Amino acid sequence: MIWSIGWKNVWRNKARSLVVIVAVILGIFGGVMATGIMQGWIVQRLHDGIHNETSHIQIHHPDFINNEEIQYTIREYDTVACILDTTPEIIAWSPRVQLFAMMQSDWAATGTMLYGVDPVQEKLVSEIHLNIVEGQYFDDDYRMPSMVISSKTAENLKLLNYQVTEEKLDSLLTMEFPKDLIKKVESIGKKRFRTEKDFRKALKNALGQKQFKEYGNTLVDLFSFYRIRSKVTVTLQNKDGRIVYATFRVRGIYKTHNSLFDGMSVFVRKDDLKAYTNLADNEVHEIAVLCTDKETGTRVAKRLSGLIPGNSVLSWRELTPELAMYTDFSNIMGLIYVGIILFALAFGIINTMLMSVLERVKELGMLMAVGMNKKRVFQMIMLESVFLTLTGALIGLVVSGITIEILSHTGINFGVWAEGFEAIGYAAIVYPVVTTGNYISMLLLVIITGIIASVWPARKALKLNPVEALRTD
Amino acid sequence: MKVIELKNVEKIYNDSEFKVHAIRGIDLDFEEGEFAAIVGPSGSGKTTLLNMLGGLDKPSAGDIMIGGTHINELKGSKLIDFRLHNIGFVFQSYNLIPVLTAKENVEFIMQMQRRPAAKRLERTRELLEKVGLGDRLNSRPNKLSGGQQQRVAVARALASKPRFILADEPTANLDSVSTENLLDIMEQLNREEKITFIFSTHDARVVKKAKRVITIEDGKVIRDEWKEEDVR
Ligand SMILES: Nc1ncnc2c1ncn2[C@@H]1O[C@H](COP(=O)(O)OP(=O)(O)OP(=O)(O)O)[C@@H](O)[C@H]1O
Ligand SMILES: [Mg+2]
Repeated sequence: MIWSIGWKNVWRNKARSLVVIVAVILGIFGGVMATGIMQGWIVQRLHDGIHNETSHIQIHHPDFINNEEIQYTIREYDTVACILDTTPEIIAWSPRVQLFAMMQSDWAATGTMLYGVDPVQEKLVSEIHLNIVEGQYFDDDYRMPSMVISSKTAENLKLLNYQVTEEKLDSLLTMEFPKDLIKKVESIGKKRFRTEKDFRKALKNALGQKQFKEYGNTLVDLFSFYRIRSKVTVTLQNKDGRIVYATFRVRGIYKTHNSLFDGMSVFVRKDDLKAYTNLADNEVHEIAVLCTDKETGTRVAKRLSGLIPGNSVLSWRELTPELAMYTDFSNIMGLIYVGIILFALAFGIINTMLMSVLERVKELGMLMAVGMNKKRVFQMIMLESVFLTLTGALIGLVVSGITIEILSHTGINFGVWAEGFEAIGYAAIVYPVVTTGNYISMLLLVIITGIIASVWPARKALKLNPVEALRTD
Repeated sequence: MKVIELKNVEKIYNDSEFKVHAIRGIDLDFEEGEFAAIVGPSGSGKTTLLNMLGGLDKPSAGDIMIGGTHINELKGSKLIDFRLHNIGFVFQSYNLIPVLTAKENVEFIMQMQRRPAAKRLERTRELLEKVGLGDRLNSRPNKLSGGQQQRVAVARALASKPRFILADEPTANLDSVSTENLLDIMEQLNREEKITFIFSTHDARVVKKAKRVITIEDGKVIRDEWKEEDVR
């Protein structure tokens, strides 16, 4: 019955309890959202990190890690290949030639890592082919060797241009833009801009500050285009230490959420590169391995390093330690958020419970007089506090659970800050992730908060002297 | 058989600088089955005396024995448990838990005594019927009149099967009909079930019903008289 008294007491002063309940709902909602977004980002970053960048395991010549020189190719390639083929946890693996090279377009130059890959094997290990934004990923054979670069590299090589074309102006008409805007855009003329900066400047001059602020980003996107099929000349050092030149045609542009990775990674066919590097078919610098899942990946890595002692075997945990750390701490970080929010809420709960105790002095005095012991008094007040908090928490969890469920499909768009996020490898659209474990630990935290918040008010009640409490006023 | 024995009980309140000598040496015995009223002018010490009888307050000197226990020596949870199992209380007001129904209020005290659920329910029903509230089991206190609330309090006090029931001015907030009604019920319980009642009052009509009237003044018993039919 003490449980039912505790519950009923919550509703004695409905307005006051509702204030606390609403505060708890909002707090939980905020906590769940923050947790969900943070974990969504970590999950996305981890997925990208593994599937675009590191894979689960990478094998190198031990010296290659510190010194990426062409002669440090993987030792005993054929044995390694055989072991990889017979390891059941491995889904796929892809050998890569990896060299530092200078890229030069007709307008600019930049240095990047050049990967020579076997597209068929590479597609099984990496998801770069799923991130093509323009052109294609080694799908067709052309006479001139193909190259896949990132949009970031395209930008660096000035292969991302801007031009106001008839065609795109026409498409403007179908969209809901002010009439005068189209005229102003038209006034820029047919000039081709090789950098975003120049085009923005021209656009700003034509539109004026106000309209530029409103439509600028949309228009920059609309009038941008990649100069696909451009020639890029690659300068590299071959196996014999000689500088050689190779010419490729850009056939595809990819874009991941990590502009740092994008800016450093250019892909060509391994076979196309062979003629320039003088490397044999079994001379590669890197093997990327994809396992059934990431934890299996770390296990298999450990096993492999025993099996192929001549090479270095690193798991994703060692390749990107910061990601491994985020993954390990994401659970705790969510709880810390909620913990901080609940800590603040605790003061409101304490206040409400104190008021609830102080306006019931006579009743509490009576109960203690007729024989309610301290343990029961404490229990009654603690339960009231827990119920009060729990009501808000359960509603908050349900509401945020539903919201998270919806957002995990639609995603949350932080478009305005996209550039900043992508500079550090995070997507502008995040799909929040909250696990059942997260919800359960939050619930436990709420109950603990309810209990702790009741201690002071309950002590106040226990200090009452029944005779004084009952003395009629 | 004696339920309560008071020996030379004194009570001095040490309020800041003022010292109030509220009870000045009282010797009293109460037998099982008594129906005793404590009367006296305001400030004479009635409430102080009843509080000490109920183990809510400690005497400054002297000894109080209840059923052979020196209650002065009980402390903390022992004292609370002693009250729970030995003494029934009816206060002037605030007797009931407002969020519980009449039935639950009565049942609650038996639950604190850890009596089996089936017995509790049966007894609750029986007691509320006895005080004439058999049809109001599920009413909350705010839906009951003052008199009805006091009757629930009597049922609640009885529920714990105490040695005696203490009631400090139980009728002070009641109109004359309700007062009469409450007293009739108490008297009937006393007569038929030998329940011991000790109550204080200002009301002459209530005094009339008592079988023993103890008059105190200035913290001293000045008269202690029995009605004829009460053979001692
Ligand atoms: N807690 C206290 N502190 C100091 N003095 C007190 C305290 N309680 C009671 N007194 C004093 O003790 C004396 C007896 O008071 P008590 O309440 O027992 O009288 P009473 O007979 O019940 O009066 P009433 O008929 O008005 O209820 C009074 O002088 C009162 O002022
Ligand atoms: Mg009094």
